[in-house]
Formats: sequence, structure tokens, C-alpha cells
Amino acid sequence: MIRVALALAHREFIRFIRQPQRVVGTVAQPILFWLFLGSGFSSSFRAPGMEHISYLEYFYPGVMLMMMLFASIFSSITIIEDRDAGFLQSVLVAPVSRLSIVLGKVLGGTAIAMVQTLIFTIAAPFLGLSLGLGSLALLIGAYVLTSMGFAAMGFLFAWPMRSSSGFHAIMMVFLMPLWMLSGALFPIEKVPGWLHILMTINPVAHALVLMRMPFYMTAEQALSDQRYLTALAVTVLWTAVCLLGSMRRVEKRDRGLVQTSLTPH
Amino acid sequence: MIDIAHLTHVYPGTRKTPPRTAIDDLSLTIGDGEFCILSGPNGSGKSTLFRILCGMSLPSSGRISMGGFDLLKYPSKARAQMGVVFQSPAIDKHLSVAENLRLHAVLYGLRGGEYDHRLTEALAWTDLKDRLADKVDTLSGGLARQVELAKCLLTRPSILLLDEPTTGLDPSSRRNFIMALHKIQRERRMTVLMTSHIFSEAEDADRVAIMKGGRLLGLDSPQDLRAKLGREMVVIQSRHAESLEARIRSELGLKTRRYGDEVRLEETSNGDSLPVLEKLLARYRADIDSIAIKQPTLEDVFIHLTGQTAEQIEREQMEGAHP
Repeated sequence: MIRVALALAHREFIRFIRQPQRVVGTVAQPILFWLFLGSGFSSSFRAPGMEHISYLEYFYPGVMLMMMLFASIFSSITIIEDRDAGFLQSVLVAPVSRLSIVLGKVLGGTAIAMVQTLIFTIAAPFLGLSLGLGSLALLIGAYVLTSMGFAAMGFLFAWPMRSSSGFHAIMMVFLMPLWMLSGALFPIEKVPGWLHILMTINPVAHALVLMRMPFYMTAEQALSDQRYLTALAVTVLWTAVCLLGSMRRVEKRDRGLVQTSLTPH
Repeated sequence: MIDIAHLTHVYPGTRKTPPRTAIDDLSLTIGDGEFCILSGPNGSGKSTLFRILCGMSLPSSGRISMGGFDLLKYPSKARAQMGVVFQSPAIDKHLSVAENLRLHAVLYGLRGGEYDHRLTEALAWTDLKDRLADKVDTLSGGLARQVELAKCLLTRPSILLLDEPTTGLDPSSRRNFIMALHKIQRERRMTVLMTSHIFSEAEDADRVAIMKGGRLLGLDSPQDLRAKLGREMVVIQSRHAESLEARIRSELGLKTRRYGDEVRLEETSNGDSLPVLEKLLARYRADIDSIAIKQPTLEDVFIHLTGQTAEQIEREQMEGAHP
């Protein structure tokens, strides 16, 4: 099963590398976002309790989360393309476990997101952020987990879609808001009440905690911090839910109406 | 062996459309090593049947056994011995020929020396040997189809399902593909079920199944199907086909069938055709645009059984033949 999933993931990665526009677009776009928004808001941004932090620095983990979200969106769109082009049907008729089909896509998307976020991690020292080995390990673990979570979430939504324009709608009204309300752009503390509620119940916000805390704590401190452990548990949970949901969707075959419910002819 | 018993598939309706029966109590057995062509007009249920056979849809009722395994209960076991060539290309255009084949091998658990051996075997009949490193989207349509078939052969399937595999190919590529397929099928004694709209492809099949409205209208060897029609027939083209047909029936007492503006005397036995033709020409010259004696083809059998005109079939072929 793992071999099949890795082979399918490898295919995703080769396809990504062979489309240079995609590589440039996915790497450059979040960096531009970060530089423009980060620099633009720098003078007006004062987060409570984070007065010493520039917006560029505040937004930094948020951009990582955005990279993962975008990698997931791109890889989910390839599900629709694969179905359109016909490739998907040959995978579906192969005697492979349905979970390996899901994992193939998810791991492929994760690998792509990893390349981007690892490159982006190089910017940390320039922000004056230092990372110990332990923290770096936690951070990389968070990258893997969150990328998988997003990729699985994208899969869950993209699987039943027959057109990529339909998926764009889902992306704009559902996936993007999940990111926007994760604390990536602004902290939860000073927002209006209704927004506070939305941000509190947003599971993706916990992934951001996993991405931010290792920059300010050692691994030991993080692993004994209740907030970190809660965030980890919630992120593992929604990742697992999305993976299992995706597998259920792939397993489902369209079924003919069972005759007994029809009037005899 | 493919054994289909009392298969029924009803598409669930929506609020606006009632449920639709696509396959209606269909039973069909295709023996080991048999090459069977499945034909039928659009909407006849053959695409639905194909989807069910490759395990992508579950039928409303009925049983299917593939090489002894119940497809509905043990899809994975049945899939392992099946190869499927779809109408739309199921290979990745962005990958090379070799990468596509390798990926397929992994899906079916092939590796190492066994894979190398199978690869040589699967490529033996193709023109792909020098193109392995090329991306699939640089190949011609005919070569891309060869990749599809080679890919399926890697896994040494005992059952091969093909859904209009020659759609979009030029006549010579189509011929080459079908010839190669027949050769491989004979060599490996594979059971082949192929849907097709092209009657020349059916001539070499062991049996031809003709479907309409979800039912099997005919299932026999091409020779026997042809023999079911009279040995010859007289075909008249007329602008007034309807009135002409009525007059031939009432005045001459001959049995006729009409398909659009074509009147056919299908049950003319050998040797009778010429006198009949002369008689018709003498009486109805003014109404006849053209008249001919024809040996029935499989297309004629199809027209006879399904009641479709040649133009309808042609139009469906032009439309890419998808219901």
C-alpha cells in the first residue's frame, strides 16, 4: 500500500517539477504576499502582548500556512484534471487499496508544500528568529502534519467535483477563510465578538500555533505547554478526519437503484 | 470467463427526471479465450455495462463473475486479473512512456526482474521501443494507444476489457491496433470484451453482441448473424419511400422494411434478387432514386436488429459515440 502511495506521490511531484510556471508561481506568490503585506502593515500593526514583533515577523508563520493551503489547492485541482483526462480511471480499476489512492495525492501535495516551506524557512534568521535543533524538528513535524491535513481537506472537497471552476468557488468561500481566520493575518485578541467565535472554532487556527510556537520556545518548553499540546491534538484530529473522509469518498461507487423500490414493469 | 447473470441497472432519478433503466435483466457469458464485440446504439446501456464490468459502478441487481471471482463481492481479486483500456486515454501525458509503464506496474505489484521481463514482453509487438523516454504527449494517437495496450499487457490479464479503443484513430492506425489486438489475444488466449461502433472491427470477432434499450438483441458469430438475414437483399432509395413501401407490399405482396427513405427487401433468397429488382424497376421507375442488390454486412444486421438507419449510426459515430 505504501509503495503504491509513494509511486503515485512521486508522479505528482514529477508533474509539479515539469511545470516550471507552477513552481515559480507557488514559491513566488506567498513570498510576494509576505513582503508586500508584511511591509505595508508594519507601521500600523501593534498586537497586544506582541508589541516587540514586526508585522513581517507576525505574518511569517501565516505565510507558511498559506503555502501549504495553496499547495493543497493546486494538488486538489489535479484530481479534477486526472478525472477529466482519464488517468484516474486506470488507478481506480487497479487492485489497490483506496487509502493508497488518497495517500498518493496527499503525500504528493505534502512533498510539494515541504519544498516551498523549507525554502521559506531560510528567511527566519533574517527576521532575527533563531531555531534550536529541537524546535526545528518540531517545526518540520508541523509542516508535514499540516500539509497533509490541508491536502486531505482539499481532496475531500475536490473528489466529487466535476469542474475546476466549481472547486474555485469552494476555495474562495471555504478554504481561504479558514486560513484568513486562523490568526495568520491578524491576532484573535482584538477582533469583534462574532469573528472571535469563528476564529475560536476554526480548526486550522491550531495548525498556526504549531507553526509559530517553535520560533519562540525550545522543544521542551513547547512539549510541556498546554496550548501546544492542544493544538497538536486538534490538528492531528482534523487531519485524520479528512483522510478517512477522503477514503470513504473514494470507496463509494455509484450504485444503481435497487429494484424493490420501483414499481414492477 | 466473464459471466453476467440477470444484470439490471437503474439510474436513480432526480427531482426532475424519473429513474431510468439502463440495463434490463441482461445475461451474457463470454467463454475463456473468446473475443467478443459489444455493439449497440447510443443509450443502449453498453457504457453502463462497461462501467459495471470494470468495477466502477454497482448494479441494481444481478451477478457478475470475472475469471471465477465475484466482481461485486471481491472487486480487488477480480480487478487483479483484468486489464482495462478506456476510450479516453488513461495514461499521464506529462510522463514518459517508461514512467507510465512503471507506475502501472507498481499499481499491480510488479517489481524487479519480473518487471523487466514483462516490459520486454509487453513491448514486443509495439513500435515504442525507441520512444520509451519520450513524453506521451509527443506521441501520435496510434502510438499512445499502443502505450495503453502495452500497459495493460504488463499485468498479464486473463480478461481484457476495451471501450471503443480505436476512437479518434485514423483508419490505418485503427487497423494496426485491431490486428495487433487479435494476434495478442490468440497468443495469450485472453478473454476479450470490446465495445465498438465500427462494424469492420467486428468481422474477426468470435461473437458479436448487439444491445439496445439495456437488452441483448443478438449474440452470435458474425457469420451466423449475417445468415439470420436473407442471403441477399434489395435496397431501394426513394424520396417517397413510405408510399412506395405500401405499394410494394400491397401490389406485389413482398415483405419490406423501411429505414428513413430506404426501403429494404431483406429476405430475398439467393438468385431471386435480380428478377425482383427488374420487376420493381419496371413498375416503380419514377419513384426509385437508386436500387441495388447487397450482401448483408454486420451493419445491416445491426440495422435490422436495432431499427436504426445508417445515417443515425453514422451520426453517432461522428459524435464520438458517447451516450
